Amino acid sequence: MSNRKAIGVLLERKKDASLLNWNLKRPYPPEKIRIPIPASSEPCVREGETVQIGQKIASPQEAGGVSLHAGMSGKVEKIASFPSAAGGERRMIEIRKHGSPNAYQFPQSGNWGSPDHHKAKENKGRGEPKSLPPAETRKGWAEIPAEELSSVFQHSGLVTTDPSMEPVHAKLERHTGARTIIINGCEPEPYITCEQVLILSHAVEILKGAELLKRALKAEKILFAFEDCNLEMIELIKSKIYFLKWEYAEVRTVPALYPQGSEGALLQAWFPGEEDRAVVFPASTAFAAYEAVALGKPFYERVVTVGGECVVEPRSLWLPLGISFHDAIHACKGVMREPEKILMGGPMAGTAQRTAEVSVMAGTGAILALPKEVAKDGPEEPCLRCNLCVDHCPALLSPVMITLAAERNEFAVAEEWNVADCVECGNCSYVCPSKRPMLKFIRLARDHTKRMAHG
Amino acid sequence: MVEGTLSYKTTLPAHIRSGDSLARRHWGQLAALAPVFVTTCFTGHAEILRILLICLVSAIAFGFLAAKLFRKKESLWNGETVLAATLFSLLMPSRCPSEVVILGVFMAVFVGRELFGGTGAHLLHPLLLARVFLQLCFPKAMSEPMLLAGEGSVWTLLGVGLGGIIFLKQRQGYWETPALFMAACFICEALFGGREMPFAFFGGVLLTAFFLLADPVALPLTRQGTALFVLGAALLSSRLSPEGFSIRSAGYAILLMNLLTPWLDVWLRPVSYKTKHHLKATYPS
Repeated sequence: MSNRKAIGVLLERKKDASLLNWNLKRPYPPEKIRIPIPASSEPCVREGETVQIGQKIASPQEAGGVSLHAGMSGKVEKIASFPSAAGGERRMIEIRKHGSPNAYQFPQSGNWGSPDHHKAKENKGRGEPKSLPPAETRKGWAEIPAEELSSVFQHSGLVTTDPSMEPVHAKLERHTGARTIIINGCEPEPYITCEQVLILSHAVEILKGAELLKRALKAEKILFAFEDCNLEMIELIKSKIYFLKWEYAEVRTVPALYPQGSEGALLQAWFPGEEDRAVVFPASTAFAAYEAVALGKPFYERVVTVGGECVVEPRSLWLPLGISFHDAIHACKGVMREPEKILMGGPMAGTAQRTAEVSVMAGTGAILALPKEVAKDGPEEPCLRCNLCVDHCPALLSPVMITLAAERNEFAVAEEWNVADCVECGNCSYVCPSKRPMLKFIRLARDHTKRMAHG
Repeated sequence: MVEGTLSYKTTLPAHIRSGDSLARRHWGQLAALAPVFVTTCFTGHAEILRILLICLVSAIAFGFLAAKLFRKKESLWNGETVLAATLFSLLMPSRCPSEVVILGVFMAVFVGRELFGGTGAHLLHPLLLARVFLQLCFPKAMSEPMLLAGEGSVWTLLGVGLGGIIFLKQRQGYWETPALFMAACFICEALFGGREMPFAFFGGVLLTAFFLLADPVALPLTRQGTALFVLGAALLSSRLSPEGFSIRSAGYAILLMNLLTPWLDVWLRPVSYKTKHHLKATYPS
């Protein structure tokens, strides 16, 4: 561990409200869901077709792609472009509730990881199951060879549950040769508790998922990263590791400063300069990997924190991928008052949404409805050169120089001051006493740099 | 929540802001100046009230004039003009003619600040620029400030010290800025001075360390740069005049170091993490 002083801002964590209801629930299926199709996949269902929950609806077209699975039973209404929470429009499959929802039966045997593995079986007039069938672990899941694991990941539609949403098997392949897997249980952003709740509810599953990822990567060591204020998680995982007698697993902590628990900051703190020696997965990805391998359950739902001061009952809950933000907030009893901003992700680096009709994606950790008092943008004032942004930049840049240059269209200066190394954590905007839109100027400079690079 | 029809506010992150603001900084500095001001009044220089009144009225007037001329928003309520006027009145000597004070305020607010581009854009400390200008034009009238005239008393020291503590508590700048300045001044004085150190000397060093180095606009953009700036200013203000440290020489010293600031910024620029470790720059999606 490096001795360098951790850089970051101490934020009000605001996690207590959503931790009041920390038992994970699944809401009633919404009227419709819109699931974004991954970049290198093509839909394998037609409009008008009936699909079951968990059924494959898009299949990978190339080695780096993943399959996509229906988050609820219903009828494929449309395959078209819809506004995406990540900005712009994306091709999505819209599924509408249709008749009585039937449960998808998980395959209990058969060829591991074959493309047709997750085809729905015919429902033979069983009653009307209200929820998922009881999970049964598949026989021999713990002995699957490492080569087959990545095929299982691919055909279960497993992507990392951070905003990058990279397919897990592709990320594992990209990091072949890394000796360490870091399972990230940190949530440095305020409000968000999805990882914390999942770890507290399913600690052993996450450990087993981490072990699977380690086996798939042929790594030697697992590090569990936690923020030093989450003592109960640290103790829980430590005791489980102790009783499992895992010599190769270790719990490490980082200071509870933003953005210390993020992927980049973990690598920067523990493997400075040698970032290819380790690979970071969120704890929820490890859980999804466990479910995909041990239960044969494809990745079609995730734990999302629905929070912010405007929500009546802020909590973390299981949401099917593709459910709209509007339905998700309604599953938490709606809003008390009209929010000023609706965010995907945390308040420091999340994306503000124009409408609540965008859908939950694999990388959506939180849906926040923030009131005017919290999400206010004060009047912008001139830069005072107070150095706060320089002292709080985790990438060790000089945001003041970069933004002052970009403001005056001096993009060459911004590039010379390494604007390309910015990690867009939002610290400089947060600390600025003049309330300057730092990220706007930084994006301006990088867009210009990128345009120049591509001619 | 109405389905589909509403559009919410979309701005780039961060969506939350710290409680820090320009107004808070300026009014906070004014609060820290209060004990200094009270001490000046009670050590027999009630004349400062007259000068303060002149400074306030003329500074606000020049501020309005500049806002009208340059078509900008008048920024009276963020406290910048009031702070400039109050601090400038503390730098004025006793028995200073009113027109000289008004000329000084004009130099500080209109020329030193607004002509350079307003808040945050000036290269030189506007108040010290004005004081040095008056020193050059009226060398007879411009003696040391009222607070520091004569030998001074222990009350001077206590007042400035209390103000400094209030200022440090607000954490507006680096704690080592005043500490380094004081230490360097005392060491220089002990090495080269050889004279008695009256209370006025200590009061002057404290006033400079806390309040004249509090304006971050003309300070360098890194912590190391600021430390170098402060050491340079301390050395210069002790050695520029044969009598050792005085507010007069401190003005020249800080202005000279201000001219070095852009060079310090480039020389001591932070090395980014990726550059240090020769990693490829990546663009987050």
